[in-house]
Amino acid sequence: MNRAEILSQVTEILRGIFDDEELEVTDATTAADVEDWDSLEQINILVAMEKQFHVKFSVGDVEGLKDVGEMIDLIASKMA
Amino acid sequence: MNSYKFEDISVGMTGCFTVTVTDEMLTQFREISGDVNPLHNSEEFAKARGYKSRVVFGMLCASLYSTLAGVYLPGENCLLHEVDTKFKKPVFVGDTLTIEGVVIEKSEAVRQITLKAVIKNQTNEVVNKATIKAGVLG
Repeated sequence: MNRAEILSQVTEILRGIFDDEELEVTDATTAADVEDWDSLEQINILVAMEKQFHVKFSVGDVEGLKDVGEMIDLIASKMA
Repeated sequence: MNSYKFEDISVGMTGCFTVTVTDEMLTQFREISGDVNPLHNSEEFAKARGYKSRVVFGMLCASLYSTLAGVYLPGENCLLHEVDTKFKKPVFVGDTLTIEGVVIEKSEAVRQITLKAVIKNQTNEVVNKATIKAGVLG
């Protein structure tokens, strides 16, 4: 799966979690860009990513994630 | 009270306790919630709608999931994130409820467990079902 495909699936996950079909997601998107993206939703997002991409994250993997781009890099590295 | 740490918990682990619903519990719940709907408060009203007696508040039953997670599994290290519940059958004063939960998922990165839980009455009928997500602190 290439980076664009991962971004597409990540976008669908975020649209589902935030119940917003219009949500535009790019590598630069951060929690600050989405009103409801709080610490609890962050947990839901990471668990949804693990399920969607069949990967497992560690605490160290996710505690420093700055934006969606870094999340995609992490997913890609786990799938490699 | 149990005090499981995240590392102590494994998929398949269970927690369970039993409660008998009393009239006093309904009174206290009505006072706390302000839900004065007669289905829960009037025998006459409930019987006129085909129930054998007043129906226990569904949310009172669901509050027992707070106890399941906060006292039994994981216990004192619990931080409740989400409860998704279905009210399957009516509960009445005097019913003895067994609340059971099993861990179906653990997420290391966010230290969250997911429980599948059910509440059964004294005749083993499932009266309530839930999926519970809880963080495990410490």
